[in-house]
Amino acid sequence: MLNYALLVHAAPYSHQAALSALRFAETVVAGGHRLKTVFFYHDGVHNASALMAPPQDEVHLADGWKRLHDEHGAELLVCVAAGLRRGLLDAGEANRHGSASHSVEPPFELTGVGQLVDAMLTNDRLITFAP
Amino acid sequence: MLLHLLNRSPQSPSVYRDLGEAFGAGDHLLLIEDACYAALPPSSAVLEPFAGRVSVLREDLISRGLAERVSPDIAVVDMNGFLALTETHERCVSWF
Amino acid sequence: MTTHPSFDIEPQDLLVVLRHPPHGTQWLREGLDVALVAAAFGQRVGLLFQGDGIFALLKDQQAGALGQKGTHSQIAMLEMYDIEALWVSEAALAERGLAREDLMLPTTSLNAEAVAKLLRCHPHTLIF
Repeated sequence: MLNYALLVHAAPYSHQAALSALRFAETVVAGGHRLKTVFFYHDGVHNASALMAPPQDEVHLADGWKRLHDEHGAELLVCVAAGLRRGLLDAGEANRHGSASHSVEPPFELTGVGQLVDAMLTNDRLITFAP
Repeated sequence: MLLHLLNRSPQSPSVYRDLGEAFGAGDHLLLIEDACYAALPPSSAVLEPFAGRVSVLREDLISRGLAERVSPDIAVVDMNGFLALTETHERCVSWF
Repeated sequence: MTTHPSFDIEPQDLLVVLRHPPHGTQWLREGLDVALVAAAFGQRVGLLFQGDGIFALLKDQQAGALGQKGTHSQIAMLEMYDIEALWVSEAALAERGLAREDLMLPTTSLNAEAVAKLLRCHPHTLIF
């Protein structure tokens, strides 16, 4: 069994790479490995949007990631610097910036790039999915 | 030994060039997403630097209508094959 | 231009490969951010400038329209973060008609064989 971390740079519904990341994540856990961390960076932060509303007949990417957290304990980390710029704020950040609403909810967590470095150093594999 | 993931079609030659520089003896290349188009025989020139060490992801081939058009010297793998490649290669880098 | 033979390579803890030019996208900026943060966390970081990533090092860059910051200020901070292993692809320089003298910082140029060796000898590599 190996510990995996994924780095997701691709925005949902803009590029297949967001789907590629999710299907690889599902393959990792089905294959008996541990998916420890998914780090969303660059345009990948949009995968954490609590407000995404894809049509019923398309996969719901944020729900897919949440399922991997709920059923397999994967931590879902969103780069705070990349996220804030792009409108991805949790309740705390929204409050701090005087925004009326927020767009990131648990189990997605806003964290620093240091967590990506940590995930890279502490997992057996880091696989990147970029647009 | 590195596993290189590539997702760009041969329409983006610069990424193939940069990957070609970085590709070492014993490395392996997996074509996913739009890089599947590089698996067609007329594109074989862009894959020459990687000859014999290239795989392509089956489900991305099928969705693009390419399943029957793959060059015979390229291995076709499914998602479990993709996972297996990441198991056997200690490190994986992605070109995009 | 001198090509340093591969035995000159001193592997770092993390290699960040930068393939995108400044201003046009956020790739370079966010890649450099990872390099700087990793260095701040005590990792030894090396940078490989490849393809259009070479343009990150070009002299005379400025902020863009509407105050777009660009990346030259991050490049200027590398030394402060002890990021001094800077490699450039010799082919990428030549294709763009540039010499190392056109660049902001001292770099080591690598031929294709040395680039492959560089990726091989680093325990961690991220490409931006």
